[in-house]
Amino acid sequence: MQKPLKKIAVLLTIGALTLTACGQKPDITENLADNTKTDKKQILLFGPMEKSAPNASNTARTAHDLTVLMAEERLDLVVEYRTYTAENYQEKTYDEVTLDRARHNMDDLYLLNPDVIHTLGIEGKLADLSSLDCVKNLRDVVKTANTVNGKLVAIPQEVVAYGLFVNKDMFDQYDLQLPETPEEFMECCRVFKENGIETPIGANRWWLETFVFAQAFADLYNGDNTDAEIAALNSGEAKYSDYLRPGFEYLQELIDKEYIDAKTAYTYEAIEGEGPDFMAQKTPIVMAYWGAANTDTAYGSPDFNMQVIGFPSNRGQMPVIPITGYGVSANAEHLEDSMDVLDVILSDEALELYSQTNRVISPSKNVASNCIPALKPLNDRIEEGIYVLASNANLKMEQWGNICLLVRDLLNGSSVDDCMAKLDQLQEESLQN
Amino acid sequence: MKWIEIYKVSDTMKKGHISNILNKGKVFISLIILVFCILGAVVFFIAKQISEEMSASAIENLSESLELISSTIETVLYKEAEFQQLIADEAATFDDPEKLILSYNQNSTMTKISLIAAGEQTGISNTGDIFTTEELDFSAGFKIQNLQVSKSYLNDMGTWAYTMKCPIKKGKLEIASLYIEYIYDSFDQAMPDKLYNNHATLYIMDAKSKRFLLKPKGIGEREAGHLNLDDFYNANSILEPQIQTDIAEYIENGDNVMFYHKIKNEDSLIYMWSVNDGSLYLIGYVPVTAIQREGSAVNKNIFFVVAIMMIAFFICCGIYFLNNRIQSKIRQEREHEREIYNKQLAEALQTAQIANNSKTTFLSNMSHDIRTPMNAILGFTTLLAKDADNPDKVREYLKKIAASGQHLLSLINDILDISKIESGKVALTIGEFTLNDLVTSVDAIIRPAAKAKNQTFFVTVVGIKHEYLIGDETRINQILINLLSNAVKYTPEGGHIWFRIIGLEQHSSQFEHIRIEVEDDGYGMTPEYLSIIFDSFTRAENSTTNKIQGTGLGMAITKNIVELMGGTIEVSSKVNVGSLFTVDLELRIQNETVDENFWKTHGIFRILAVDDEEAICKNIQILMEDSGVKVDIAFNGNEALQQIQDVYRQGGQYNVILLDWQMPDMNGIETAKQIRTVISDDIPILFLTAYDWEDIEAEALRAGIDGFFAKPFFVAAFKEKILAFHAGRHIDDIPQQNTNSLEGKTFLVAEDNEINAEILSEILSVEGASCEIAVNGQLVLERFQNAAPGEFDAILMDVQMPVMNGYEATKAIRSLQREDAKNVPIIAMTANAFAEDIKEALHSGMNAHLSKPIDVAVLKETIQNFL
Repeated sequence: MQKPLKKIAVLLTIGALTLTACGQKPDITENLADNTKTDKKQILLFGPMEKSAPNASNTARTAHDLTVLMAEERLDLVVEYRTYTAENYQEKTYDEVTLDRARHNMDDLYLLNPDVIHTLGIEGKLADLSSLDCVKNLRDVVKTANTVNGKLVAIPQEVVAYGLFVNKDMFDQYDLQLPETPEEFMECCRVFKENGIETPIGANRWWLETFVFAQAFADLYNGDNTDAEIAALNSGEAKYSDYLRPGFEYLQELIDKEYIDAKTAYTYEAIEGEGPDFMAQKTPIVMAYWGAANTDTAYGSPDFNMQVIGFPSNRGQMPVIPITGYGVSANAEHLEDSMDVLDVILSDEALELYSQTNRVISPSKNVASNCIPALKPLNDRIEEGIYVLASNANLKMEQWGNICLLVRDLLNGSSVDDCMAKLDQLQEESLQN
Repeated sequence: MKWIEIYKVSDTMKKGHISNILNKGKVFISLIILVFCILGAVVFFIAKQISEEMSASAIENLSESLELISSTIETVLYKEAEFQQLIADEAATFDDPEKLILSYNQNSTMTKISLIAAGEQTGISNTGDIFTTEELDFSAGFKIQNLQVSKSYLNDMGTWAYTMKCPIKKGKLEIASLYIEYIYDSFDQAMPDKLYNNHATLYIMDAKSKRFLLKPKGIGEREAGHLNLDDFYNANSILEPQIQTDIAEYIENGDNVMFYHKIKNEDSLIYMWSVNDGSLYLIGYVPVTAIQREGSAVNKNIFFVVAIMMIAFFICCGIYFLNNRIQSKIRQEREHEREIYNKQLAEALQTAQIANNSKTTFLSNMSHDIRTPMNAILGFTTLLAKDADNPDKVREYLKKIAASGQHLLSLINDILDISKIESGKVALTIGEFTLNDLVTSVDAIIRPAAKAKNQTFFVTVVGIKHEYLIGDETRINQILINLLSNAVKYTPEGGHIWFRIIGLEQHSSQFEHIRIEVEDDGYGMTPEYLSIIFDSFTRAENSTTNKIQGTGLGMAITKNIVELMGGTIEVSSKVNVGSLFTVDLELRIQNETVDENFWKTHGIFRILAVDDEEAICKNIQILMEDSGVKVDIAFNGNEALQQIQDVYRQGGQYNVILLDWQMPDMNGIETAKQIRTVISDDIPILFLTAYDWEDIEAEALRAGIDGFFAKPFFVAAFKEKILAFHAGRHIDDIPQQNTNSLEGKTFLVAEDNEINAEILSEILSVEGASCEIAVNGQLVLERFQNAAPGEFDAILMDVQMPVMNGYEATKAIRSLQREDAKNVPIIAMTANAFAEDIKEALHSGMNAHLSKPIDVAVLKETIQNFL
């Protein structure tokens, strides 16, 4: 009985001695400073941000981050974010700040809205992305929309389709069919209003223009004479105001009948303003982009039956597609690296990952779209090839930004005629350029 | 009683000892628990102390880091202010300061330098643009080095900026104001790259607008680019109004703020650090685990070391207790073994005592049993001497002396037999035999004995398929004789004894599985005796008080022989009801060639067996199965007659008729008479009977019976009868061989014992033969060598002799170069009476073996066989 204990005691002593022996005193001549330097290239990416909500995740940003991570790993560099969002309507808009920053070469990469793409493309501030490998996979509509002066200046990670987000339960409550035409939509609003819904349409200062685009260009993009009509607009033979007037008048009617609260809409940021009422089922109708249906920071988890349909037009429900995209500053400090980053984050592999995560329409013709049930009505129309473009670089006059500002004027009290006069002026200026 | 008391005392002591051990164990465990509690408390206290100190240290480190960053930013601001003052001073030396302004280019820190002359509303920027102060707000009153600082704003580069205003003075006269715009991006370099390994967030906030102006690079946090303080609160769930109010107050006063709060379910430290008297704030948070890594590491190491020590301690304890347990188990096992050993010793002692007692009893019995016949022999010898002239008495005395001698001999044989068996020296002598011979020989011995006691002896053979078997016939005979003689012995007069041989289902086609049953309705045995019946030296009754005599070895011998043959023996018995012995044996079947020709040769194709017992008829059919002879059966006389007539009518006939004697309605005699009226005389009718036929022989012969043979039916016996019949003799008139003709023979006798030599000499002379005695093997050899050829008819050879024993002498004689050396019959006559002795005798070249004492009849028969 004694022997095992002795053996254990000996083993423990040896162990203790070994541990003591391992504790070495550091060499005094050793340089303890950490001289490892971070020599990775840093690509600056400027993009919008949204106000933070606790416990809410932004699926779109997550999807985007995953692809950026892919680029960082493959290219052994770091993509640094710069962000901006206006605190209120009185501050500079994201687009304005983007223009300022791009013009002063503050960043390498930019996430751009259609009007900014058009403006910076015209100004030559964006690099030509035609040489990227990913371009061969792109859908034609993307290339068409973002080609300025023969240069492909921006490529998106998703094709952003705008639609009407409706509370189907409330439509059912008042025995209303989902509207196809402007008249039907107006009738629905009337019924809601009469039933005590103070403001049937929740709106912000950005996206009311989608109503106008749907009515203005439904025939142009879905008729048989698209190219000729675009040519006529670019030559000045046809006037934008002729196309857009019905839409503005329609908006005016909605405002006049108080189906839209123009004052609040004028000050509301996208989703932040009108979103809470829609989610609280106080407002049956809002407008937003496809991805808003997928993310908790927008309309991702409603407590009601939400459906996303096209905007009313004489050709039925009409999706509105403004093509956004990532652009590279033509004078970027890390131009080549930025192009490489784009090539990775816009590759089929990255877009597949993005589409799977964010469930959106991919710009790559090789990546199938992935849509949730609520988006099916909108997706069906797009699959049928029925939609209007809210941005098109083939049109000399920029659409998405200009019309947005004109609608904002309308909200701010300008008459339809005043807006049309401004529109004519803008067309005139574009023709001169 | 003393033992019990001692045991009780010992038990109490043992219990006390166990109780002590248990108490010691409890104390030991309590001590261990106490030590560990103290150790745990100390470790916990130390760990807590370390944790608190490390925490305080970590907070201090964080504070210092923030202070350092704050100081760096302030230094940058001061340097900017100093630089601006320098430009202003330089501009004051210019006649046209605007020229100086226009000479400056935009750089990464100063994005715009502007100047407005005193009293003017507009001025000029270094870009050449008109400059106004309309968009600049200096109302907050913040200053750097006495220079006014504007509220932060988004400049035309789309980045956050601030402008410092510096008066340009010529002497005491302020001639203009110098405005320089700085951007917050320039603070990037002052911000740490990896604050707490990227676990910490850090923003620069404008204190007035609460707007976040800079998110320095390298701090991760892609999820939310915070917009302002409210956004920060929302994103990090810092929603308590009191906290927000307190923070607002601190910020208003330009104080530093640091507090704990949960962020994303993790304890975090939130900090808001004042820069430039609170005009700017460094804002962010860091998880507590990130700043207390050192403390956690130290605590982890402490716990790790303690855990290792505890594990080591418990392993040691485990080994100690395991060792203890093993030792205890070994001790217990040894005690157990010792107990078993003691028990075995006690049992062995008891057995030895019993054996000793048995042997003592046996010796007592033997003494009595040997003395009894010895007494008779000696007594009658004395009487013989007295009454030598009275031939009747002499014959009577001699008869009694011979009976006593025989009894004495059987006693000696049994003792020797059991001694041989128990020493394992016995060997079986395997040979071919027939059940017929076996049963016949047993019947010949037992039936007279049973008859003498007026007992009825039944012999039945059922279900046997093969009667030609291989085995030790002598030993089987011994078994049967032992069992049956016991049955006779222990069954009162007028009782019944049943001897059955039953064929059981064969386990192998090469072995006949037989069961031998010996049953009687005798005295029976008590259960106590049954349990020791097969032990040596036991008898049902003490021979001194019972007239039944025996060695008490018979059953032991029987059991041993049965087991030696691979068989089993069982017994069941009830007092005054009877006993049943059952022996199961498996005996190899001879490779008997089916002698169909025998029956054909003798014209036997179909026989009729008549017996009222169906089992007997069936048995005949089974045994004749392979013979090619058709066996019909009838159960009474009338039926037999009817069958015989039917066969005749069909043109056939029976070649032999086997007839039972005693049958209901019509007995065998009557039936035979009837049959003879139907069949011709050349067809034999044989009586198959379990009874002595001497009483009915005459009547039977008259009735047309051609012969008798005893039940049970055996093919071998049947064949013999057929052969005899065809030999033309009366079947039962086979003359007894005359074995008494030793007349004129001369023998060479080797015998070292004078008395034995004399007895033999006398016996031979009585038979008309002469002999020459030699006292050892050597002399026998020499005498034979010198003898003329044919001088001696045979040599009777003792085995144990001086000089040369019988075996050697035989071998020597056989090796002699004489013609008669090979042929002269040499017969062993020895007291070595075991089978091995017989075997060795034959092996040495002898022709036969006779055991002493010499049975004259056997001697004559044996000698006759070789002459």
